[in-house]
Amino acid sequence: MHSSSFKTLLTTCLLLLCIARCDREETTDEYRIVSLSPAMTEILFSIGAGDRIVGVTTFCDFPPQAKKITKVGDFSHPSIERIIALKPDLVIVNLPEQTRTKKDLDRLKIRTFVSSPHSLSEIYAELSALGTTLGLHEAADSLILYMKRNIDSVHTLRRKKVYVEISPRPIVTIGVATFLNDMIREAGGENIFADLDKDYPTVSQEAVIARDPEIIIVLHPQDITGRIGWQSIRAIEERRVHTGLNPDHLMRPGPRLVEGYWALKEIIND
Amino acid sequence: MIAFRAKNVSFRYDVKKVVEDVTLSLTESEFVGIIGPNGAGKSTMLRLMCGILKPVTGEIELFGAELSGQPQRKVAQRVAFVPQETHFALNFAVEEVIMTGRYPYQRPFAREKKEDFEAVNNAINVAAVDDLRKRPVNSLSSGERQRVVIARALAQFPQLLLLDEPTSHLDLHHQYAIMELLKELNARGLTVVIVHHDLNLASLYCQRLVLMHRGRIKATGTPHELIKRRILKEVYETEVLVMEHPEKGVPQVFLRSG
Amino acid sequence: MTKTALITIIFLTSVVIGILVGPTPLDAQILQLRVWRVILGIFAGGVLAFCGCLLQGLFGNPLVEPYTLGSASGAALGAAVGILVFGAISPVLAFFGSLGVGFFVYTIARIEGGLLRDRLILAGVVMSFLCSSLVMIVMVMGGRELYEILYLLMGYLGIIINDSNRLMIIALIIIALGLVAFLYRFHRELDIISQGTETAAGMGINIQVFSLIVFFSSALLVGLVVSLVGAIGFVGLIIPHVSKLLFGPKHRFNLGASFILGATFLLLADTLSRIITVYELPVGVVTSLVGVPFFIYLYKR
Repeated sequence: MHSSSFKTLLTTCLLLLCIARCDREETTDEYRIVSLSPAMTEILFSIGAGDRIVGVTTFCDFPPQAKKITKVGDFSHPSIERIIALKPDLVIVNLPEQTRTKKDLDRLKIRTFVSSPHSLSEIYAELSALGTTLGLHEAADSLILYMKRNIDSVHTLRRKKVYVEISPRPIVTIGVATFLNDMIREAGGENIFADLDKDYPTVSQEAVIARDPEIIIVLHPQDITGRIGWQSIRAIEERRVHTGLNPDHLMRPGPRLVEGYWALKEIIND
Repeated sequence: MIAFRAKNVSFRYDVKKVVEDVTLSLTESEFVGIIGPNGAGKSTMLRLMCGILKPVTGEIELFGAELSGQPQRKVAQRVAFVPQETHFALNFAVEEVIMTGRYPYQRPFAREKKEDFEAVNNAINVAAVDDLRKRPVNSLSSGERQRVVIARALAQFPQLLLLDEPTSHLDLHHQYAIMELLKELNARGLTVVIVHHDLNLASLYCQRLVLMHRGRIKATGTPHELIKRRILKEVYETEVLVMEHPEKGVPQVFLRSG
Repeated sequence: MTKTALITIIFLTSVVIGILVGPTPLDAQILQLRVWRVILGIFAGGVLAFCGCLLQGLFGNPLVEPYTLGSASGAALGAAVGILVFGAISPVLAFFGSLGVGFFVYTIARIEGGLLRDRLILAGVVMSFLCSSLVMIVMVMGGRELYEILYLLMGYLGIIINDSNRLMIIALIIIALGLVAFLYRFHRELDIISQGTETAAGMGINIQVFSLIVFFSSALLVGLVVSLVGAIGFVGLIIPHVSKLLFGPKHRFNLGASFILGATFLLLADTLSRIITVYELPVGVVTSLVGVPFFIYLYKR
């Protein structure tokens, strides 16, 4: 507990440092940005482009300043009219969730930046591309460096089997095509559904039981320890079910993944 | 004994009065025909008699007991109703249809008892549908089907049998067969009331006729008293000839062609 | 009755298949899971087919069932609202959703002295559309609950059972089975109603009261099923017809046989949905794939 709050403090300091540095950087254009991605909103703030954001989604709740920006709808249903009304130079869209919005924007010849990371390396690539687009490559590079340095590889002799549950009804977990899958690997674990070539597959209870995870990470509020048929799972027998993690630190491909990674590392190497 | 008595009975759908201030009584073992033009309230009257419709005002008695105070199940043990035409949504076997006539006597969950089977066999014999008993009901001709429905009514062990135009869709042979069957049932002591459009059949078979007009009873009496040119002209607004049946001597009605 | 023996054997076989067949080898834990799943399957399949048989008998309409009448969609709407408001599926809201839609359809289809067959189905479909749009609104408002509601709309039996919902599930199943037993006593009434409402009224059946009882109870049953396993379609349509083919039109046999055959059908469909893919496929997908052609066939006939 103590060490994790220390780490939060450390991250915040690093982020502030980052922001402070970026503020001094020259920018190419007076850009008006609409961000439809909560993760990208966080990234924009941390590379010093927060003041260029003119529109966000209701899901963009971090950093606190993001909440004050005009809302254009929620993550899955942004309003194209509200976006246009903000006269953006660039709209950051998430695929596949916002495919329709992307098409509308393309038709209207409004420039978009697509975010759809399925791995850590894709996150870094997107960050770098964003930096170039905004003329903030230095700030972007330093954020990449910060993330790479902190999401380091843990060397283990045997990878522990990790099961991540995103929602209980139906059971949604993570497949191989996610950065969280990469993070679990970096932290020395192995996602039990890494063989599924998908991002967020729905799986059966039987599949979870058969794969017998040693660690369970629950990202929803339901208690899972009393489940019928799950009692022989090693993680449940050994009481290695972890519930208190912040889903935004693990599911949102932004700077705070670092904090999520630290939490993972602690859990897996405990 | 009085089988049925209605005192100042009125009934209406919405605001339009369909039956108005009807007073009528029937004695046991009568064969009564209710006649009258379309919309005279004949069918409604029949439904009031068996409790399917409840009078708005007035009282109805069946075999000396208030109708309104009795559960319909009890009423159905004494009165059976045969609608003009029965549509069978499910293709039951004939004997299964007739068994449903035992409903007023059966308890929920209970199986059919010996007396139920006896009643069904009896109804099958009386209505002479023995050769049809295993047949699916929708494979029957309309005449055969009407016999089956009458048999179902008989399984109710009624004392009063009400029929709404029992022969309206039937050919001559089946008209005759059904009316003969009703006559036979009446001879065994069953009180029969039919609503009939065919004045000649009504005159030929009924002991007493009830002539309805605009919701009221215009007159009651024997066919000789009621089937008269003057009365029919007033009620039906049609010129007719009335002559005697060559064998039975009852009045028969003929239309005059222009 | 050899046919009774036959469907009993088929039913027991489907139970055994439901327990034995699956993507994972059987052990004590998987066995527990499958037993619960089979219990839910028997409950949902049986109750839905029973309701279908009951409603088809009441309306004299071979196309009627909780799904085509819209009451399943109503229940799903109620349950979806429950997910949005309380964060959990509420059987009470599902019941009211199902009841509300049921009555609306009933009112639309009602004419003097009866119900119009085609209007009943049309009204049911229209109300299903309405409920789907309302569910969409709920999904938009909820956002994150989207996936759960999607599964609710298709229905699936692989729900998680834990210490906190186990007793509630048992209680709901007992209530439902009690209601089924209570409704079974009306088999004679249904036989008679199929011969015309006047005939029924003449024999002492109060059609108004009877319709209300059937309507209310089947809404409650559908609400219970949907709140547990979602809106599984077409079981209530297909099964009563199969049962009629086997046992003839009498409701004494049909109501019971529909329950058993409905349970059998859903167990087999669920086993299929479980082994087709690694991903959990909603069982409603399988039942709809079988049900839609069947519906068209019946409608054309």
